[in-house]
Amino acid sequence: MTVELPPGLALQKVDERIMTLNVGPQHPGSGHMRIIVQIDGDYIVACDPDPGYVHRGEEKMAEYRNYITNIPHLERPVIHDSCNALYPYVLGVEDLLGIEVTERAKYVRVICSELNRCIYTMYWLAIYGIFLGHSTMFMWPAGDRELLIDLMEKISGARVTHSHFVPGGVRNDLPPNFEEVCLRQVNYFEKRIKEYAAVFYDNPILISRTQDTGVLSREDAIRLGTTGSVLRASGVDYDLRQKEPYDVYEELDVHTNVMKEGDSYARSKVPWLDMMESCNIIRQALQKMPKSGSVRVKLKPNPKGKGLDSVYKRVESGRGSLGCYIVSDGKVEPYRLKLSVGSFRNLIALPYLLKGEKLGNMPSVYWSLNYWPVEADR
Amino acid sequence: MTNTATGIIRALNSGIKHIATKRFTLRYPEEKLKFVGDGYQFDPSTGVGIAGLKGRHMLFHDHCTGCQLCSIACEGVAEAIAMVKVPDQQQQNKKSIMPQIDYGKCVFCGLCVDACPFYALYMTNDYELSSFSKEGLIYTPAQLAVKPYVEQDSEIIITKWGATHG
Repeated sequence: MTVELPPGLALQKVDERIMTLNVGPQHPGSGHMRIIVQIDGDYIVACDPDPGYVHRGEEKMAEYRNYITNIPHLERPVIHDSCNALYPYVLGVEDLLGIEVTERAKYVRVICSELNRCIYTMYWLAIYGIFLGHSTMFMWPAGDRELLIDLMEKISGARVTHSHFVPGGVRNDLPPNFEEVCLRQVNYFEKRIKEYAAVFYDNPILISRTQDTGVLSREDAIRLGTTGSVLRASGVDYDLRQKEPYDVYEELDVHTNVMKEGDSYARSKVPWLDMMESCNIIRQALQKMPKSGSVRVKLKPNPKGKGLDSVYKRVESGRGSLGCYIVSDGKVEPYRLKLSVGSFRNLIALPYLLKGEKLGNMPSVYWSLNYWPVEADR
Repeated sequence: MTNTATGIIRALNSGIKHIATKRFTLRYPEEKLKFVGDGYQFDPSTGVGIAGLKGRHMLFHDHCTGCQLCSIACEGVAEAIAMVKVPDQQQQNKKSIMPQIDYGKCVFCGLCVDACPFYALYMTNDYELSSFSKEGLIYTPAQLAVKPYVEQDSEIIITKWGATHG
């Protein structure tokens, strides 16, 4: 009788040249996951990413909770990007319940969503910096992120897990005098991230480490189904804020950043350019936002779906397309809820990118995929 | 070669410039960040909240009717709220039960505040809730009725020489 063992545990044929190496899950450089790499000397022969260590069953849990109590749970997979993590769910529930959101609430949501995208990207950039051995790039984004966290704290009252979006709008209106404070801090934030060019992005040491490593061609990026910054770094101009605008994105001028190289350097630079675009969107939204009006539609205490119905909504999160599929059977809880997350879709590219690379290039390729293990495992 | 040299000099130059910029770090126990308003509150008549920090709760004994809506709202989230008997007799609270909150479980989402239709529960700016024991994190209705004393005055100030917590 043969027993199928999971990859990594199975006995392998002893080869004098090939060595199997487990990177993670305890290794700090891998996040909450394991990457099984087979190396020949210093070169990677094969790579098998093994996610699933932080699976929490968010999708199953959602079936036992009503549409409102699901809110704090569904933002937990990516706490740094919690507004964007909730966004498709909230849009979907609004569609199911037939709620029309006010104009001001839509603008507040766009501002929160863009602030959260920057907060997430700064956190990712700090990790990317430290794993390339650039400790300044760990300290600066971690500090400058505070400017935006302070803004989100003023809006929603929480530093990371905001629970701010609800079906029908947002929980509370912007605090008084917010526009002025927001504009000042966002402008300063943009000035700060432009300084990163001299230290990080134009730094010859970083360029020599990341350029031409892990090249993903345009055809492969489309074929493998990658999304977000990974797709845009390979030369595909695809951003859901532009292609399938939700809420008020069609009234705003969204510019996408596309790079053709498809290497680690391009993948690390596109999110940085996206942050500047986010600052632009925030400024536009603050200008076009209605100055007064309600931000939340009053709902019944336990809203119910209208019979058998399903909806799929997706938004552009910090890691690419984030979709939410909800099936309702007319009860207070969703019948089924499934998430399609950008992290998991980008991970599929890792074995293709690492083949033939040096082991030392693994962190730069792995983290450039904008991968968040907790979100991928749900 | 010249590109590499100028790149390294630019990086060093940018680092040297930061010697002159102000320190951004908040010196936490000495300085505390100021928040907007008096904490997160909810107005049931309009159905919209009032912006503020979601910190420790504050319970008004003269408003609480013991309806358990906060406890039901918490059921699917953290199960931090338990309804307990209170000794004081309130006219509107026939059953004499009020919420007791376990901050070891609370996630500070504020959905209990949204659920209260009697203006009895709101969240204050107090976030320093550490305790030496798990029991110390369970706040009884009597403890929740005390308005916390908070001294928070530090704000982000942006000058020509960089941002700082002043």
